Amino acid sequence: MSFWDQAVEIARVDLQVERRIGDVLRIIFPFAVVALLVFPLALGIDLAAITRIGPAVFWAIGVLFGMQVALRQAADDRPERRDLYALLGVDPAARFVGRSMSGSLLMLGFMFALMVATLLLYSPRLPEGWPIPAAAAILLTSIGLTELGTLAGEVTAGLRNRTALASLIVAPLAIPLVLGGSQTLESLARDTGILPWLLLLFATDLALAVAGVGLARPIEEASR
Amino acid sequence: MRITRILMVIAAISIGAGLYLTFTSPTDRLQGEFTRIVNIHAPSMWVAFLAFGVTALASIMWLIRRTNAWDRLAEASVETGVIFTATGLFTGMVWGQAVWGRAWDWADPRMASTAVMFFVYIGYLALRRAIPDPIMRARRSAILGAIAVIQVPLVYFSVNLFRSLHQTQSIRPDGATMPDSMVIALLVNFAAFTLLYVALTAARIQVAKAEEEQAADTVPAGDAVTPPLLSEVEDV
Repeated sequence: MSFWDQAVEIARVDLQVERRIGDVLRIIFPFAVVALLVFPLALGIDLAAITRIGPAVFWAIGVLFGMQVALRQAADDRPERRDLYALLGVDPAARFVGRSMSGSLLMLGFMFALMVATLLLYSPRLPEGWPIPAAAAILLTSIGLTELGTLAGEVTAGLRNRTALASLIVAPLAIPLVLGGSQTLESLARDTGILPWLLLLFATDLALAVAGVGLARPIEEASR
Repeated sequence: MRITRILMVIAAISIGAGLYLTFTSPTDRLQGEFTRIVNIHAPSMWVAFLAFGVTALASIMWLIRRTNAWDRLAEASVETGVIFTATGLFTGMVWGQAVWGRAWDWADPRMASTAVMFFVYIGYLALRRAIPDPIMRARRSAILGAIAVIQVPLVYFSVNLFRSLHQTQSIRPDGATMPDSMVIALLVNFAAFTLLYVALTAARIQVAKAEEEQAADTVPAGDAVTPPLLSEVEDV
């Protein structure tokens, strides 16, 4: 099996497991929508303020709950599964790429569903021509967040306080992604050029991908 | 041990010289006495960047060589770096309160990104403390140490990338934006803080070595009890 065949197969198995468990659809997404409802309730009935903060709330909730998507239970390989991959001769880098592919797909679905919920609940004022830049920003943020979550998940695999610890690692490192994502629409509204922010997102994704592939073998050893 | 003590003495003397120049150099007309904070704030942040850079390098070297010395250096450097980042943040907030009228200003991306960097390395230290096995701890923290450094350039260049209240670099290739006497005080403090970083890191490495030796000498409770040999048991 080639490198890409291995990666695609791992992604397929991951998605199948997720379909059966349904962490993202049944638990994380509803919880994120509840969080979207909490903000206006805490803010009071100030429609102008709710409309204004809509995009910012979307990115904040998206990244915080996106971390949960990246660190979901189904993405935590048990030692037996890791040993099986190793015995089958699966390339650790292919495992990282496969993991990132399936995670990115789930994250993308989660972010788009969250965007629809935000549009419905907040009716935010958005600049003209927002769909394509927003889609690009969501795509790049989803990939970066998944890569970061995959790396943090591997580093904390098997630890008792895995979820809290991985979140502590992912949240601050995800700041370039939050900035890139939120500032893309902000720059579009101000007409100051969105390219630098998309480039920041792309560069972060690339750096994380290089780190994930380059460190795949030590990561595999580390998670034993 | 002796080298560490010598380093400590040199660092103490340099810090003394730095403080002397800090309190004898002229002040800014508008900022008054608060100008002097920059002599602690800027060197603290420089040392923090240096410390996290050294951590990344030591982490990569551990992944290549797998020797304890690199892990000890990475750990010592992060702990020192976190202390200096906290010092930099605190002095920045004191200066901000005095000059901007606010200790924390969201219009300053350097401040927010530094706080984020601080928490990245708090996470690194939390990860280390969560793993009891020394080899697994070294492996996992080396991976995180190598990745976490991507945050450092963002913090450094944040004042150039974003609209910011924070001033840009005061000492540039085309000259300084302050009088020579202030530049000299600042440079002496940069050197003094760097020496202090080296001394503290060396001291922390000594502590880590002592901890490892102590762990190796510790006999597990069960090992103190040995079963009697059959030859020693008398027939009943």
